[in-house]
Amino acid sequence: MPIRNKIGEMVENVRLLERSCGQRKPSVGTLYLSATHTIFVENNPETRKETWVPHSMVSGVERLPPSPTGSQLILRCKDFRVILVLIPQERDCVDIHASLARLSRPEKYSELYCLSFNPNVNKEQREESWAFVDLAADYRRMGVPNNLWVTTAANSEYRVCDTYPSELFVPKSATPAVIVGSSRFRSRGRFPVLSYFHQDTLAAVCRCSQPLSGFSGRCQEDEMMLQAVMKSNPGSDYIYVVDTRPKLNAMANRAAGKGYENEDHYTNIKLQFIGIENIHVMRSSQQKIVDVGEMRSPSMTDFLFGLENSGWLKHIKAILDAGVFIARAVADEGISVLVHCSDGWDRTAQACSVASLLLDPYYRTIRGLMVLIERDWVSFGHKFSHRYAHLDGDPKEVSPVLDQFLECAWQLSEQFPCAFEFNERFLIAVHSHIYSCQYGTFLGNCEKERRDLRLREHSHSVWPQLWKERSQFTNPLYQTDLSPSQGVLRPNTSPYCFKLWKGLYNHTEKSMPPRQSPADFLSTVREESKQLEEELTNQQERLTALTGKPITWEKVAVPRRRRRTDCQKHGGPDPPATTHGRLISGPDGQTDRKAPRKDPALTLPLRDTDDFSACSDLESGVADLSSRSSSGGDDNKEAELE
Amino acid sequence: MFSPRTTKPTFKSYLPPVQTDGKTSIEPPIRKLEPTLLSGEIVVNEANFVKKCVSAEGSQEDLWGKLICTNFKVSFIPQDAPLKPKSQLSHLLLGEHDIPLTCLDQVVTVNDVKGKKKVLGSNQKLKFNPTELILYCKDLRVIRFCFSEAGPDSAKKVCLAIAHYSHPADIHLLFGFEYQGRRYHQAKEEGVSGSTQRGGLQTQRFDRPSDWDREIKRTGASEWRVCSINKKYKTSPSLPENIVVPVSMMDRELEDLAANFTDSRLPMWCWNHTNGSALVRMAVLNPLQQKKTEQKFFSAISKSHPQHTEILKVDLDKSLPNIQDIQSSFIKMKQICVLEPFEESEERWLSSIENSRWLEYVRAFLKYSAEVVYHLERKNVSVILQEEEDRDLNCVVSSLVQLMLDPHYRSLIGFQSLVQKEWVMAGHRFLDRCNHLKKNDKEESPLFLLFLDCVWQMMNQYPAAFEFTEAYLTVLSDSMWIPLFSTFLFNSPENRAQHLLEFAKSKAIPQGEDQAVFFPPVWEWAQQFSTKDQTLFNNPLYVGKGATRFQNGEVKTFTRSKKNYGSINQGAPSSVRNGVRGGEDTLSRRSSLMSELKPDLPTVKDESPSEHFFRDWFSRPADLQGLLIPQLLPSHLSLWKLYFLRWVPEACIAKGGPITAYHKLSLLMNEIEVLQNQLRQYNRTSMESASLSNQSGSLSERGRMYFRAISAEDPPVPPDFLTSSFPFSAVGNLCRRGSQGTPVSKFLNGAKTWLSTETLDDTV
Repeated sequence: MPIRNKIGEMVENVRLLERSCGQRKPSVGTLYLSATHTIFVENNPETRKETWVPHSMVSGVERLPPSPTGSQLILRCKDFRVILVLIPQERDCVDIHASLARLSRPEKYSELYCLSFNPNVNKEQREESWAFVDLAADYRRMGVPNNLWVTTAANSEYRVCDTYPSELFVPKSATPAVIVGSSRFRSRGRFPVLSYFHQDTLAAVCRCSQPLSGFSGRCQEDEMMLQAVMKSNPGSDYIYVVDTRPKLNAMANRAAGKGYENEDHYTNIKLQFIGIENIHVMRSSQQKIVDVGEMRSPSMTDFLFGLENSGWLKHIKAILDAGVFIARAVADEGISVLVHCSDGWDRTAQACSVASLLLDPYYRTIRGLMVLIERDWVSFGHKFSHRYAHLDGDPKEVSPVLDQFLECAWQLSEQFPCAFEFNERFLIAVHSHIYSCQYGTFLGNCEKERRDLRLREHSHSVWPQLWKERSQFTNPLYQTDLSPSQGVLRPNTSPYCFKLWKGLYNHTEKSMPPRQSPADFLSTVREESKQLEEELTNQQERLTALTGKPITWEKVAVPRRRRRTDCQKHGGPDPPATTHGRLISGPDGQTDRKAPRKDPALTLPLRDTDDFSACSDLESGVADLSSRSSSGGDDNKEAELE
Repeated sequence: MFSPRTTKPTFKSYLPPVQTDGKTSIEPPIRKLEPTLLSGEIVVNEANFVKKCVSAEGSQEDLWGKLICTNFKVSFIPQDAPLKPKSQLSHLLLGEHDIPLTCLDQVVTVNDVKGKKKVLGSNQKLKFNPTELILYCKDLRVIRFCFSEAGPDSAKKVCLAIAHYSHPADIHLLFGFEYQGRRYHQAKEEGVSGSTQRGGLQTQRFDRPSDWDREIKRTGASEWRVCSINKKYKTSPSLPENIVVPVSMMDRELEDLAANFTDSRLPMWCWNHTNGSALVRMAVLNPLQQKKTEQKFFSAISKSHPQHTEILKVDLDKSLPNIQDIQSSFIKMKQICVLEPFEESEERWLSSIENSRWLEYVRAFLKYSAEVVYHLERKNVSVILQEEEDRDLNCVVSSLVQLMLDPHYRSLIGFQSLVQKEWVMAGHRFLDRCNHLKKNDKEESPLFLLFLDCVWQMMNQYPAAFEFTEAYLTVLSDSMWIPLFSTFLFNSPENRAQHLLEFAKSKAIPQGEDQAVFFPPVWEWAQQFSTKDQTLFNNPLYVGKGATRFQNGEVKTFTRSKKNYGSINQGAPSSVRNGVRGGEDTLSRRSSLMSELKPDLPTVKDESPSEHFFRDWFSRPADLQGLLIPQLLPSHLSLWKLYFLRWVPEACIAKGGPITAYHKLSLLMNEIEVLQNQLRQYNRTSMESASLSNQSGSLSERGRMYFRAISAEDPPVPPDFLTSSFPFSAVGNLCRRGSQGTPVSKFLNGAKTWLSTETLDDTV
């Protein structure tokens, strides 16, 4: 890779040690400081290995007192890598430290990498990249708008709530007056809106922020709003209001004129506290678990105590518990849930997105997870730039909120190894892009801010890039044909079932070649089956040549069971006209169509023959082939398969 | 609607509780409750109208039926036939509710009215009428029976019978002796010779010189020979009759020196590396003769090494936990995993695990073994494992070392041969360590289980390196508690020979008959499981070299990759103490976190040569058919959940867990098998060699996989019965105090959730 960025500083004879990679011997080379990256190029002429660290990934630079061999600089990265650099001259070290300290703390958006990053694409492609994830299509997929949930123009031009998206779904019976009234009674105007609609039960997951109730305040419109949410779920006579905070925290907020819904004022609500801690607790907990991952040669005691004392897994459990509660209510009880925390952009986003992950198999696909993050996090005003320290700002605003959601997905994939289309690498890739600022997707704190920054004109969306690399993000164990009714995940959230996410926190592993995971082996197996398949086709062709009759049996397509979109839901909402259409109209329809061919496992002829009724065992399958090869009667086969 | 629930009240009201003998009064609609008895098995006592508790606090799922004690097992026959489909491994000799008497750890009777509780032993009196019987099993099940509706007298009697028969006075009272005697004669009458022995026979038992010879050849140990000075166990009662010794040592010399070792256990060869280094195990020496004797052996062993290198002796007693440590650690694990109410263990789960030190011990053994591997593989020296008696820790370490170095032992047959060689024949005291006769609790220690856990850790890290699965390891551990097989019943080869001789005499079994025929080892899996169920032992991922194996159709030959790690610079002389570091790790608890985090550039921390070797090995892709070293950071070790938590409902993941990946992989493997068969079919039609068709037919019929891709009963989606406990069931096998409700139902009840103890600043 040519170093095309403007070189700012350059120091030779630098020794680098990427400690988090378990590397022991420092490599000697040259350190460059560009406008966007710290680059280290090894001297070794054979390898010339380059290490690039975007400034936006640097969470801290530390200079140690000089020693006879030189001065040490420690770079701590937001993806938990730790890089040590030994610079011969103290003066150079001071300079680099000063520059990096400045470069890693940009003060303006314009300084960020994504606004200078230009991956050689034209305007159309850039615009297409932004259209890759289409939220309207996802709402259509889940069956809204319908006669229960409708779009509202209330927030066009972000008039009612500046941290919400302009496109919102609300209960059909909620009038603009109710919406506006309710928004005045909620922190930051974040009134109850739809997050996910569950077609099977007609129950919905809704989100908002805490009410400004204090000790006795009430608001008629807000009460009507919650009533409207309940009414949009025909047949139910209450809703759950999930306050994801610990009850003590929620009570403390009442003193500040905020708090939680008073069950005496709202009819037909059931209030439930979950107990997810606030961003400050999470920040310090993550630091503790990072420390555990960084321990050099810990004893079993160090490790287990460290893990328990960090409290991290307990917090992950609390978030997953919130998701499980919501998913149970929606899928099993058919009761709608309104979720909030304080401002409704951290814990609420976590709880809602975990619930969607549990409820709908679509969000467990690669594309589905992109859509989910785009909806529950990006569009609903999760404060990315504050939480992930894109700009130099209040360190108290920083917290690993989305990290925790990604970890929930990972913990779930450990419990259900076949339920997710993506693998751990995908989650880690998303994680690093949240921090890297290479793409504009996660920049800013809400939709309005992104619009004002005109990010779509000046930067690119990360999703098409990740989609392009999806072959390395695919879990070969993914079981595609989980039917939707069975598709609700019911994880176990007892502490037995949580473990340290080594892939993220234990970087020492990364230096090693990928260990033996079933998935890696499956890729080999896939390759093997592909070869067999080809050989089979060859043999068939030979046979065709011998018998003089075309043999088409391997093409016999047994109709796969149809996916959920085609099922008619019981009564309920009018199905929107587009339900049957393409779910996602991505800009790269082309790659989309190519996908099956790239995926040998999906084209295995035998894969599709689960109702190969004539071949209930292996033997008859073999017998069939031989008998057919002599008679050449393919038509029989067709008939049998029906 | 005939639901099983509705019949229950009727069942109760039919029969007044005072009735003690219900047998005669059972009305026709009620099924006759007959136990399934093995040949030679007799009912000793029984009680009717017993309730088996399925969940903790009296629920509707509890089963009513008959509790039976036989001379082999405790059996419970439920009144209502089970409705649920088969969801677990079915044992051919034991029913779902059966517990072999040998599997009982503690028999506890309770009278909850009087608040009395008694642990019952053999021949004891019981001064109260039991209302409950709790059976604590060695496979970690906890089964509870209630006698509220049973006659107090019959309840008492059945409890006493169970307690009595689970404490046999003599090894010959273990049911296997009765059963296998009858089975032998039945088979003789029917003209079947020893039934199905395939797996059993392929496994080398190392009770014949030829097995040792083959092993010498296989490993290329040309400087070692089989020696039979221990014929008839006249030299050492605990060594096998044939041992392998350096060729340079004469029988006479060995006989003279034997007495200097504890129990006359001469150094015994275990295995040879292709580089010529040997792995040898021995007991400690009489201090007076130590120097001279050691010198003789060391020089002979050194002579047997092609480079005549120095040899390394390591003392396991000094650096590894002893058998009592291991036993008390295991007891704590039991406490945490199954005995304590779920809510109590939940809060401090990780520190409880830490407190048991089980994982620490597992790690210590793996680490120690890896160090030995380093010396054999890299330092090219022969290693002698020394332990007081050479019958406990040595078994674990020597078998782990061989598993790491030799892929042969990672096949199913190879693994079983390894257990034969390093445990059964080497004289591990299975009878005492398992405490089958419940005579001496101090001798009890789960060393074999610890070994299986270590194997599991390696399997967990290298899922494609082993031919067998964790289900196999778990089933093997359970087999220790079924006294029908000779493998885990005896303390030494001599002990075995002597008992089996007596047994053969008493059962009129002709002299010279093969032991394995009249008292089969556990390796004869067909005795316990159907062929189909045995396929659960097959690891679908073990195909890396399956292709070659498939073509040869033969037992694979052992080809060790000759990897050279010559690039490693020889550093400073080894600073290792006694060859093995790591002692300090087992001993030092909590080191300071902060000291660990100090940046250490540019002075690269001193690394021991073995650490260097491991790091270098880890930096390359592993060859699964070569050396395999486990990763040993604490984060690499996990709790063996299938073993420890399989009965725990709270830990069970419905439709999830590793088994779902196994399911998917099995389907894929099966597809490949089918495709391969079809290909063969095509090849054959083109070659017109119809004579082969039968052969290949049987091959595909066998099918290596439990789950089939194309089969009527196996849909492509994971079947509903799959849980993380599969092939075991987390229902009804664990009745502990007050574990009620799932976390979610707790929520729904508005019960306790974590309250914030930290900052209330929640207004961000």
